[in-house]
Amino acid sequence: MTQNADATVLAMKGITKTFPGVKALADVDLEVRTGEVHAIVGENGAGKSTLMKILAGVHPPDEGSVTIEGEQMWFNSPLEARRQGVGMVYQEINLVPDLTVAENISLGQLPSSAGFVNRLELHRTAARVLKELGTRLDPQEMVGRLSVSQQQLVEIAKVYASQPRIVVFDEPTSSLSEHEAKALFRVIERMRSNGIAIIYISHRLREVLDISDRVTVLRDGRIIDCRSTEGLTPPEMIRLMVGRDLDDVFPKRHVAIGNPVLEVAGLTRLGVFEDISLTVRAGEIVGLAGLVGAGRTEVARALFGLDRYDAGTIRLHDSEVRIRSPKTAVRAGIAYIPEDRKRDGVALSLSVKENISLPVLRQVARLGWLQRGAERRMTQQKAEELYVSPPAIDRKVATFSGGNQQKVVLAKWLASEPTVLILDEPTRGVDVGAKADIHTIIGELAASGVAIIMISSELPEILAVSDRVYVLHEGRLTAELDRSAADEESVMSAATGEAVAA
Amino acid sequence: MTSAATLPPRVTEEKTANKILGWIALPVGILALLVIGSLLSEQFFTTRNLTNVLINMSIVGIIVVGMTFVFIVRGLADLSVPAMVAIGALLTLSLQPSLGSLVGALVGILAASAAGLINGLFIGYFRLNPVITTLATGTIVLGIAQAAVGGVIVYGDDPALQSFLTGRIILGIPTIVLIFLAVAVGGHLLLSQTIFGRWVYAAGSNPDATKASAVPLNFTKAAAFWMTATLSGFSGVLLALTLQTARPGIGTGYEFDAITAVVVGGVSLLGGFGNVPRAIGGLLLVTLLSNIMVLNGIPTASQGLVMGALIAGAVALDVYLRRRGGAA
Amino acid sequence: MNTLKRVFESPAVLTLIHYRVVVILIATLFLSVSLVPGLTEFRTLSLSLDRTATLGVVAVGLTVVLLMGKLDLSVGSTLALSGIATIGLQDQLGPFGAAVAGIVVGVLAGVLNGFLVVTLQINSLVATLASMIFLRALCHFLTDSNPISGDDPLFGLTVSRALGGTFSLRTYVFLIAILLLFIWLTYTVAGRRLYAVGSNEHAATASGIRSNRYLFGAFVFSGFTAGAAGVMQSLATNTGSPAFGEATALTAIAAVVIGGTRLEGGRGSALGTLGGVLVLAAITTTLEYESVPTYYQNIVTGSILLLLILLDRIASNSPRSALSLNSLLSFGKRDETPTEKKQEGKVP
Repeated sequence: MTQNADATVLAMKGITKTFPGVKALADVDLEVRTGEVHAIVGENGAGKSTLMKILAGVHPPDEGSVTIEGEQMWFNSPLEARRQGVGMVYQEINLVPDLTVAENISLGQLPSSAGFVNRLELHRTAARVLKELGTRLDPQEMVGRLSVSQQQLVEIAKVYASQPRIVVFDEPTSSLSEHEAKALFRVIERMRSNGIAIIYISHRLREVLDISDRVTVLRDGRIIDCRSTEGLTPPEMIRLMVGRDLDDVFPKRHVAIGNPVLEVAGLTRLGVFEDISLTVRAGEIVGLAGLVGAGRTEVARALFGLDRYDAGTIRLHDSEVRIRSPKTAVRAGIAYIPEDRKRDGVALSLSVKENISLPVLRQVARLGWLQRGAERRMTQQKAEELYVSPPAIDRKVATFSGGNQQKVVLAKWLASEPTVLILDEPTRGVDVGAKADIHTIIGELAASGVAIIMISSELPEILAVSDRVYVLHEGRLTAELDRSAADEESVMSAATGEAVAA
Repeated sequence: MTSAATLPPRVTEEKTANKILGWIALPVGILALLVIGSLLSEQFFTTRNLTNVLINMSIVGIIVVGMTFVFIVRGLADLSVPAMVAIGALLTLSLQPSLGSLVGALVGILAASAAGLINGLFIGYFRLNPVITTLATGTIVLGIAQAAVGGVIVYGDDPALQSFLTGRIILGIPTIVLIFLAVAVGGHLLLSQTIFGRWVYAAGSNPDATKASAVPLNFTKAAAFWMTATLSGFSGVLLALTLQTARPGIGTGYEFDAITAVVVGGVSLLGGFGNVPRAIGGLLLVTLLSNIMVLNGIPTASQGLVMGALIAGAVALDVYLRRRGGAA
Repeated sequence: MNTLKRVFESPAVLTLIHYRVVVILIATLFLSVSLVPGLTEFRTLSLSLDRTATLGVVAVGLTVVLLMGKLDLSVGSTLALSGIATIGLQDQLGPFGAAVAGIVVGVLAGVLNGFLVVTLQINSLVATLASMIFLRALCHFLTDSNPISGDDPLFGLTVSRALGGTFSLRTYVFLIAILLLFIWLTYTVAGRRLYAVGSNEHAATASGIRSNRYLFGAFVFSGFTAGAAGVMQSLATNTGSPAFGEATALTAIAAVVIGGTRLEGGRGSALGTLGGVLVLAAITTTLEYESVPTYYQNIVTGSILLLLILLDRIASNSPRSALSLNSLLSFGKRDETPTEKKQEGKVP
């Protein structure tokens, strides 16, 4: 492969993209050269994914142009982008589990003659691709039988087989072990030496430094810097990523903190998180920080009984409890506002009233018989307390905006009057007004003595709201920081594994 | 905390016209049929004929109540209905000589109920596919029922009970219709007024969120299938007592009749939506339509031409309205 | 519970579960051969295969529909209608022309189902229930609910008569259909894409496969095979009856599922369906020979069906076999969904 090492393959110029209420990208320029690994870093929500979705043909840009090898492109669909040589490797796997590795690799264009699959050619292609990537997968194995990291290799091989000019890796290592990630880097190295331009998105800064030639830093939908990786250090990168003035002011109420309510010791779920010990006191808001995939949600799910835990103890109000199911958790006074609102939070085809009362039907029923008036009063009151707008409790939840749906989920759990409340990304995808409402509610709850654990990928939010911050990295606690000690840099370095708590 | 008031409420309204169409289609259809029936045949709008319509509705109506729960809980459908009807009917009449009608009836219902527990266990707790599971249990139960009575037609001999069920006891309404109405009202109250009913809707609307809300999801699903089996058995018992004869194929077609009524009533196969009155309305529409066709000389066997089109039309309308209405 | 779990996770048991279709087939065949003395004789074998052939051909079409994760309840009605066309149109079109017309009727029924499921987006269970009722009524309407007979009873005999002392034409049609299905599903591009659509429609569409076409095609194919089965059955009996095929749909679905095809789509094979059909045939032959009443056959058939779907559930939960689609898709977000977790604890 002899190619001009400095030739620009991809040029994105002046890309602007606005979603209702949010300016996701503002005048972004990006240039990627042949045979380089170009990393894009930034906080969650900085605009990395939107930029890549524009490149992949998922979203059209509002303004700006995409040029590949000097030719201007207009992608109307992901399929078209792929045909023009843009390959995407996402963190989620989208393969056909009931077909073989070889078939998945060539799925779009199975080699054939007269309608029959040319197996020889199929396996030759797969073997060649897998060999060029330096992996040792059996092309005839069913994909459904492979481990996740192996499936990801198939996903990469599939992209590679379509002979792309540019390949985008979007958080490829978030579900891989360190060993598996190393294997992935060798694959990326091979692709680069074969003249493919690589765009690499990751939260793991070490990785970025190890693998990339240049780094582009995005913040709030703008390019902050684009420079050579050489000489860059993790603290410097963190500074580039987070150094900003806060647009939103997060109000913090001062609340008297009481006795410990929830004490977790050595909580472990094998292969997911390990030896998690934390304490939450009455009236205290504890932040659980970490990168996507660090195990925050998994810890929360285990505390609420949605997943099993293999070891460790949970003490509530000084007595040990064993959480087996959401039912036992609710009985113990724990409530959990899930991360995936549409999946675990609301039943869209039911009304606001029916959603709010679902976990606490017994409170508004006598001998299994619903007391309509009581239910109406209770849910109406909760809906108003939580500023559900409009407070029309008979309307289907599906007809409300994301922020108001989130308030319905909050209302639902506050109705059970929990003593421990776990909030998982409570303000994600929520507009500014609703966000402020939700913060006010959280403050009020803490004031009333509820012990709160809050998970958020937005660092400023965690820092503004929390009294204490626990930081997770790859399933382990790496830091416990007091409000005074917690700032963006200290949390970020613990979250990227740069600093380990003593 | 004032921000909620300053921001315009971002609410997507369902199109009012579609919503209204969804609600009035069924009553309008029933009314139209009453008018058309009266115009086409003089016999139609007579007490005698309309009472017949009610009697015809009653047996399958009891099953419809159960099937409504299965649909709303997102259990697809219960295909074991014919077997449950048969076991109820066959056991009742075959035990009649030795134990009497009432004890026979009780045994028949209990047998169907026990089979329903197995349906519930497999579908609710083991999460097997409801269609294939009820197909299998239906085959087995029907086999057992036939084996128990020797695989022949069973005749009963209890004319007193027969005339009690079909006779007009209160306000000129036949007893069997009263029984059906009682089951329908009971089912409606259970679904609309109790904790369990709310669980059924929630489980059908979003199983994951329901589970995360500390609702016993598996139990709810299982109970819907158990109910349907029990009600089918009960229906079989009534059928046997009114006919005083039962053959193994006595329940054939009841599963599809019940599904037809529920679907025409606009209860969604996707779960989370519908109610008992709607399903009964669907049943009334189908029964009236069938009655009008019979009065006008169209044989029962050929009525499926209209029924098939009716089912497809009703569901297609439902799919269309939902897609247009913006509701998930 | 834990000991049970250990038993089900032992390699030997897992292997048995993995090859459950073969195990059940061998067991029933062994039972049949040991109970029915003449079964190994060619004539008996040929006869019992002949009787299963019609059902088998229907099962071939259903295999494809089930592979797509859909259902087709209308095959029995289609079978009856195409039989009526085959006999009823003999005067106008001649016996050959009428047989072709019978197959065309089947294809049209498939187009109707495709229209309902793909174009109108009606759930396949309800859509094919509607067409089942509609087509059955059409049969009764056309024949006034009476069976009709053809003019030339000898013409049809070729279908069920043994060819040159071997199998009947019907049997050959079934076996060839299985062979063609096998080749189609295993070796052709269309076949592999069919699995892709049935297994993960999202991934298939993202790879540029037109999923809806395959879905539509599956229903047309199922209509075609049901039509062919109707032609064979009506010719063999020289009768077109509106009562033909009333139990066919459910029995054929049972045969396909016993053959290891998953109702959720994506997994199944032609040879599995052959196995499923043979299991049912072996049970019927054996129990009939022993003069066991039909209802005992039902108990046995139903139990085998239940056992197999239960084993399938266990197999898709155990680590050694293929991951279930669900757990695969949910990866990346979390490693198991709550529902599946409950599963592990509950299935004995």
